[in-house]
Amino acid sequence: MTPGSKQYLPPEVLARIGRLDLRARAVVDGVLTGMHKSPYKGNSVEFLQHREYTRGDDLRRVDWKVWGRQDRLYVKEFEDETNLRLFLLVDGSASMDYTPPRFQDAPGLTKYDYAATLAASLGWLGLSQGDAVGCAVFDNQVRASLPARTSRSHLAGLVSTLEQPRQQQPSDFLAVLRGLAETLPRRGLVVICSDLLGDRAGVFKGLQLLRQRGHDLAIFHVLDEDELDFPFEGPTRFEGLELPEELACNPRALRAGYLEAIEAFLTEVRTHAARSRCDYQLVRTSQPIDSALVNFLARRARLRP
Amino acid sequence: MPTFDFTTLLWWGLPFAAAPVVIHLINLLRHKVVRWPTMEFLLASQRKYRTQILLKQLLLLLLRVLAIVGLVGLLAQPRWTAGFGRLLGGQQTTHVVLLDDSFSMGETLAAGTPDEAEEDLTAFVRGRRMVARLLDDLAATPGRHTITVGRCSQLAAPLETATPATEEAPSDRFDLRDELISPQNLPALRRVVDGLGISAAATGPTDALRSIPPLLNGQAAGVLWLVTDLRSRDWQTAEPMADILQPLAAAGVEIHLVDAAVGGPDTDMEPATQQPNLTVERIEMVGGVPASDVLLPWQVTLRNQGTTEVGPVPLAIREDGLERPGIQVDAIPPGDTATVRFESRFPTAGGHLVEVELPPDRLAQDNRRTAAVEVVDEADVLIIASTSGAGRESPDAFYLATALNPGGAAATGLRPRIEPPQALASLDLSQFDSIWLVDVGRLTAAQIASLETYARAGGGVVFFAGPTTSADAINQSLFRDGDGLFPAPLAGAVDLLPDPRNPEAPDVIAETHPVVAILSGRRNPFLDAVRIDRYMAIDRSYTPPADGGFRRLLSLRNRAALAVERPFGNGLGVAILTTAGPLWNNWARNNPSWVVVMLELEGQLARLRQQHTELLVGQPFDVTLEPGIDQIDVDFLLPPHGAMVRQVAAATDAGQLAARLTETDTPGGYTARWQTVNGTSREQLIAVNINPAEGSLSRLSPAELGDVLAGVPFTYDRADLLQASGDRGRGASLLRPLLLLLLGILLAEQLVSYVVSYHPVRRSSP
Repeated sequence: MTPGSKQYLPPEVLARIGRLDLRARAVVDGVLTGMHKSPYKGNSVEFLQHREYTRGDDLRRVDWKVWGRQDRLYVKEFEDETNLRLFLLVDGSASMDYTPPRFQDAPGLTKYDYAATLAASLGWLGLSQGDAVGCAVFDNQVRASLPARTSRSHLAGLVSTLEQPRQQQPSDFLAVLRGLAETLPRRGLVVICSDLLGDRAGVFKGLQLLRQRGHDLAIFHVLDEDELDFPFEGPTRFEGLELPEELACNPRALRAGYLEAIEAFLTEVRTHAARSRCDYQLVRTSQPIDSALVNFLARRARLRP
Repeated sequence: MPTFDFTTLLWWGLPFAAAPVVIHLINLLRHKVVRWPTMEFLLASQRKYRTQILLKQLLLLLLRVLAIVGLVGLLAQPRWTAGFGRLLGGQQTTHVVLLDDSFSMGETLAAGTPDEAEEDLTAFVRGRRMVARLLDDLAATPGRHTITVGRCSQLAAPLETATPATEEAPSDRFDLRDELISPQNLPALRRVVDGLGISAAATGPTDALRSIPPLLNGQAAGVLWLVTDLRSRDWQTAEPMADILQPLAAAGVEIHLVDAAVGGPDTDMEPATQQPNLTVERIEMVGGVPASDVLLPWQVTLRNQGTTEVGPVPLAIREDGLERPGIQVDAIPPGDTATVRFESRFPTAGGHLVEVELPPDRLAQDNRRTAAVEVVDEADVLIIASTSGAGRESPDAFYLATALNPGGAAATGLRPRIEPPQALASLDLSQFDSIWLVDVGRLTAAQIASLETYARAGGGVVFFAGPTTSADAINQSLFRDGDGLFPAPLAGAVDLLPDPRNPEAPDVIAETHPVVAILSGRRNPFLDAVRIDRYMAIDRSYTPPADGGFRRLLSLRNRAALAVERPFGNGLGVAILTTAGPLWNNWARNNPSWVVVMLELEGQLARLRQQHTELLVGQPFDVTLEPGIDQIDVDFLLPPHGAMVRQVAAATDAGQLAARLTETDTPGGYTARWQTVNGTSREQLIAVNINPAEGSLSRLSPAELGDVLAGVPFTYDRADLLQASGDRGRGASLLRPLLLLLLGILLAEQLVSYVVSYHPVRRSSP
């Protein structure tokens, strides 16, 4: 079955599912049903080190021999223990909480809801395949984070982190990405779910830093339908969610110029993503998340040797 | 340059052109709020396209404003007139309004439009309002417009100063003369028009139209507005109306016939003939002698101008302004007349007025008529009789004088005066009510001339025959082959022989004549008792001319004439071909019919002298004075309130001294007062009445109007519906071009609106 032939879950259906974990599971179930087995299946069993047991560790990884000798719980860690170290970076800035006027008639997913669901689904997928998954929510700094773990029960932590209340602050990509580049212990796949609105130079610089640290980068560029189509009519006053600006205008008159500007922005982002060898994908909030996921996984599969 | 038929609509509609701007401003105040993430792109767009957006918005607003302006302009009926000349003020439109103010325009009408809803709406009021609307309209119409307004009664030249056709009437006869119409002087012009009143004249537009051509000839743009009621009598004139209007039309004058008598329920062209209108056509004294304390018989003739019988009709009567018991006419057939009689008695000598009035109907001014009568203490009657050699009075004169003034309680108001024939040349005959000649022989030429002058002036002269009467003398000096005063040539005196076949047949037969009407139609024992023994026969070969007015009053049983009459000048000559005394007959001896016939005949003769004392409205009132006796200042007292106008007498063409009053515009009684040189006051009373013919409300049908004005281009308008436009019919209509332009503007508006609006494109998911 090809991705295109799958009946995906529309975002408005997902929007009716209140809990993020259930939304992610619904997405992942759909993805797994439609996909072949994971191309990320690991095969390395070479022992690397012991480390002290911490809450959440899989009991099957406890070295019972050490416990028998020293009466202390250690878990064994192996070289290439996981197929992937996946770190999910979700933009929680104010611009991600844009609520379109159309939601007054039919509720849907905001950009943050979409990005969080996407991240949770990826986390679920990763954990299902034994990957270590961590996440962070940021605006002008990291507001909540969770280190990468492989435990299936880690998903609850992931969901809890993504559901943390946000501060409605503007984003500061350079600071956040620089911090991540310095603190992420090992190379892995960093997936950024963001609208990338903010200091564009900072975005590109941050991506470059992560890339220089050997991380594999994937960007889900989440934008709302309204941002891409600008369908407003009638006299409207626009108030900036992140910028302290406002503009009263006839949107029909500004639409062409706006579309030109945002198209230029997307082009610039695509160009820099390609230059930084990032896996870039523009997703509309109206696009089914599982569809976006399938596209992403299929593209990743093509990249693996 | 463009002008509009409905300028008012234009001014009311144009403010709506601001609606798009107002809506735009309101929308700017009522915008919705969106908290927006990608402000930088929006701001960038705004920075980049600010000018373009502003221009598009202005263009859109402009197109919408133009669309509304175009729509309003379309509804206001635009026209294109000769632009540059008018723009530069070099060309002007000359409007001449001829307002028919004959009293038939006073016909009461039903309101045709809401603003006419009032009780006293007449055709004249409707026409006057139309003229006021025309002024308003012209004041609001671009260009230079002048207006001349005249009323028919003022413009029609009086008879004695009749101006030749196409000669311009004096400026002072116009109510407005070449007045420039502008918003500044509009109130003054409106005041003049609103103050115009209807006249009591019967003057139609024909005479007034003759003074119009000089006003419009040579004008680049002339418009004639003839506001009238289209009465048949005004348009079916001897001189075709088309002959008057054709030169105007040929000169490029735009002719509008504005019908003021139709409107509202009267939308038919001939509504008024269906409505009853009664006219007092005549009031006259029909006998008697206008002397104090003498009963005077009056006859009133009423005409029903409608098509249905009307009756009973009450008739009010006033004597010198005082009400007296009225009378009633049972029925008046449609289109016909009815007569009714009443009597009056005046206790004092002097001028008196008798007035009759009908109840109100569609036309008020023909409901009243006035007669003036000069009542004397006693009326002098001159009896000319030859005296006998012994100087005794003629018995014929005695019998006649006794009949005219029997004395005792029978007051006839007559004072017979018996004089010899020489008195005809020595007395002022005009002081006598009538002159009777009883068996007078040959008269001198001076006597005959004096007698005929009296008769020509309206006097009545009666000749009695007798033994002294010479047929030859009569024929040669008084008949003169029909040129003289005597009614017929005589053959000579003959005896009336008995009729053996019918010995009981009466000798005298009454013919159909007002004087003997009281005796005619049935066997009258008094007349039957009259025996005629001898009479003066009329020449058998004489055949009176058919149009000479020769009439018989009495005949004999042998069909010979006994009494005949023939008009002479304004007067009458009567011949009774037997003696006044009982020489040739027994009539005057103890037969009451003698007195009756003589008094009736005297009344007939007296009425002749009075029948020319009535004037019609507009005719001058002349008072003839006696040079050396009367002073030359005459005061005229005008009805209804006795306003005084003083005139100075002047010599007339006929060599008389007369004072003339021309302001006889109001019907009623006019009094002229003057003094003699010795201080005695004199007075003359005269009645001025409307022309009863104007009471006919018959109107032209459309076909008749077309026939009357055959070959003359004109526009028929209704005064109640006419929203007058100075440029109606002038210049090309801009309706079609403006409609196309409006469609273009609307298309452009849609196009610009589409360009600046958002149109979502269906797209599949990426």
